Amino acid sequence: MSDAALRTDALTKRYGRLTALDALTLDVPAGEVFGFLGPNGAGKSTTIRLLLGLARPSSGRAWIFGVDAGDVARTHRRLAYVPGDVALWPQLTGAETLELLARTGAGVDRAYRDELVQRFALDLDKRAGTYSTGNRQKVALVAAFATRAPLLVLDEPTSGLDPLMEQEFRRAVRAARDRGQTVFLSSHQLADVEAVCDRVGILRAGRLIEVASVAELRRLHRAEVTVTYTGAAPDLTAVPGVDGVATDDGRLRFALTGPPGPALRRLAAADVASLSIREPSLEEIFLDYYGEAAR
Amino acid sequence: MSAGTLTPRLADVPSTAPAPERALSRLAVRLVARGAAIVVAVAAGMSAIVVTSYDSLMADSAAAGSLGALAANPAIRTLFGEPFALDTAGGFTVWRTGTVVAVLIAVWAILAATRITRGEEDAGRWDLLLAGPVPLRTAVAAHLRVVGAVPVLLTVALWAAMAATGAGAGGAAVHAAGVGMAGLFFAGVAALAAQIQPTRAAAVGSAVAVLGVGLLARMIGDGVAALDWLRWTTPFGLLELSRPYAGNRAGPLLLLAAATVVVWATALAVAGRRDVRGGLRAPAAGRPPRTRLLGSVEAFAVRRALRPVGAWSLGIGAYFLLIGLIATTMTDFLADNPAFADAAGAAGFAGLTSVEGYAATLFAVLAVPVGLYAADRVSTFAGAEADRRLTLLAAQPITRRRLVGAEVAAVTAGVVVLTTVAGVAMWSGVVVTGGGLGFAAAVSGVWNTLPIALLSAGAAVLALGWFPRLTGGVGAVPAAGGFLLQVIAESAGAPPWLINLSPYAHLAPVPLASPNLTAAAAMVILAVALTVVGVAGFARRDLRV
Repeated sequence: MSDAALRTDALTKRYGRLTALDALTLDVPAGEVFGFLGPNGAGKSTTIRLLLGLARPSSGRAWIFGVDAGDVARTHRRLAYVPGDVALWPQLTGAETLELLARTGAGVDRAYRDELVQRFALDLDKRAGTYSTGNRQKVALVAAFATRAPLLVLDEPTSGLDPLMEQEFRRAVRAARDRGQTVFLSSHQLADVEAVCDRVGILRAGRLIEVASVAELRRLHRAEVTVTYTGAAPDLTAVPGVDGVATDDGRLRFALTGPPGPALRRLAAADVASLSIREPSLEEIFLDYYGEAAR
Repeated sequence: MSAGTLTPRLADVPSTAPAPERALSRLAVRLVARGAAIVVAVAAGMSAIVVTSYDSLMADSAAAGSLGALAANPAIRTLFGEPFALDTAGGFTVWRTGTVVAVLIAVWAILAATRITRGEEDAGRWDLLLAGPVPLRTAVAAHLRVVGAVPVLLTVALWAAMAATGAGAGGAAVHAAGVGMAGLFFAGVAALAAQIQPTRAAAVGSAVAVLGVGLLARMIGDGVAALDWLRWTTPFGLLELSRPYAGNRAGPLLLLAAATVVVWATALAVAGRRDVRGGLRAPAAGRPPRTRLLGSVEAFAVRRALRPVGAWSLGIGAYFLLIGLIATTMTDFLADNPAFADAAGAAGFAGLTSVEGYAATLFAVLAVPVGLYAADRVSTFAGAEADRRLTLLAAQPITRRRLVGAEVAAVTAGVVVLTTVAGVAMWSGVVVTGGGLGFAAAVSGVWNTLPIALLSAGAAVLALGWFPRLTGGVGAVPAAGGFLLQVIAESAGAPPWLINLSPYAHLAPVPLASPNLTAAAAMVILAVALTVVGVAGFARRDLRV
């Protein structure tokens, strides 16, 4: 129980008749990098606002290291947050913003902060009002990583970063995990999620529809199988898990979901020259999930 | 047919095609409609009420004559302007309300013009708009047109209100046209400042500075005979020189109209030459960090308040210094002419024969700007929440109570500073001119008004906690709304219970009399209660994003 960095129990948020988050029950153990995915409007940011105590749940509860999320004076000592859309006080420079956040927070590793400023190539003398979206995001990222807080809550933290900075971001997340920090990462950048996350939760229309490791998700999802054959085409009709069969002059392609045994037995009956199975990318997996929402 | 066609417009359609501009204008109307309606209603209503109350005020012919003599005094002229035709309802109304109405529409025009142009733009809401076929200059022009329509509306409403209540249509036309023109002029000044300055705040600051200097020039021109030419340099002076009901001179208004055309044309010309989200004047590229007052949310609240407190102190201090400088002339004149003092009493300026009485009368007005300062600061805090600047601080290990408590403390401190500045400025002015006003008397006089300003702060915090969108408006109710209520209700002879709703009705004339401690305590307790309920609301509600 106490080793959960973050835990929610039937966490629900309603705005009038709209249910933004519907009975979310989730457990993120300490030390894990957890990816939080879902289409726009699925309730990801609402979840994060509830975890941070910026909004109050309509029902259900959330805990950060066993402390109720509403007790922000305690929970925020152990977490750092990067909002999706970073707004800074325009009259402060980047250095002043970092100073304000360092001194009003629970402590900061100044040496590591200086290193991060170098790595993210941040010009701290400029006023925040003149920063681009990406630079504002970098200020928030540097401030958050430099706290060395046991829990990092990151809401779309790389949406404004260039590919070079994205690499730095992944490096910082890995360094955080190596140090034992927990990372809760909400993102549309599936490459980021695939690169750094241990486990992934998928939210759709306010409901959590899947929580699994990236490898498990792959197993659950469609692989693309390509077969070349000589002679008669293999007969794959009514084989469980097979979908979208297409034949094309000695080549057969189909999508396979679940265990491959039944399909392989049918293929064995034909004269197969070659066989390749491509695992789905995370992107394809999520398009599957998102696509279901549209149906 | 072309208006109704569904085919997309081709690139060769001129960018000034009317449809996008109409859409822009409709957007601008939505942004200003409510405030504009209030300003027009208050200006027209206030003037109509003074016109209708004129007969009862002037029923005593001796009082009427004395009022004329009083109005000729340089000190009174400095404050209210040179009076003309006080023997007509229209002339009296122009003298009593002209400056107030002109300042009201000018301030509204400045705030509206900067808000719906640079404010919307700096917030990023124009990026999408300007990605369409509409160039920046057209967007600015479409919005300014709507702001400019409001002083024109005001002119019509003011003329109709005064003419309908029997003030004479000719003079009303000159007065209303002048006031409307002043509104147009300041809308243009604000628009020009918004094209030049790097930020919206700087634009508002420089436009308000023009207004302040203009008002001051009119006051000096009225108070010092040798400098009366100064009145030709300021919109407020030109309004006075147009002499509604006493000659109805068109020359000064034509001059003001010409100046307005120049300002508007310059603003639109400059609008075509600057970058979106930036003025002609570029902001400084960078500076070394200043880490003073960043150590806690309380310190940071003070840091953010320093600049506004400085600016408001300058305005309030300058006004009360001027009042102090003329205090001795004013009271000596009245002491030598007891009949005038009685007349002044009848006209609502009681106790003016002593410096204490004079100070007490003018200190009562102090709660209006100080209360508005408090409402504005709390409203700025609500704005920081709405545009998510507050989010990173709210994610720190700081309770919401402490976050808003720090702001309340900084606002309260600012209120005390501004109030004290007024007292010290007045005292300095009196002492320099050899008058007799004790420092303690001046300070107790200004502090006597603190409860009203604190009521405004409390009302604003209450709104912040429960109806955050209304923070500024609700905050202005006790200090500004209460003042208007008292002035209008007294002029109209309203029943006492209505007048007593205004906190100003419970203000003792300190330092002339001793303070009404019961009323002061009641107001402070109410202010604290409003604040506590507001803080509780802020602590439990969702943060807006």
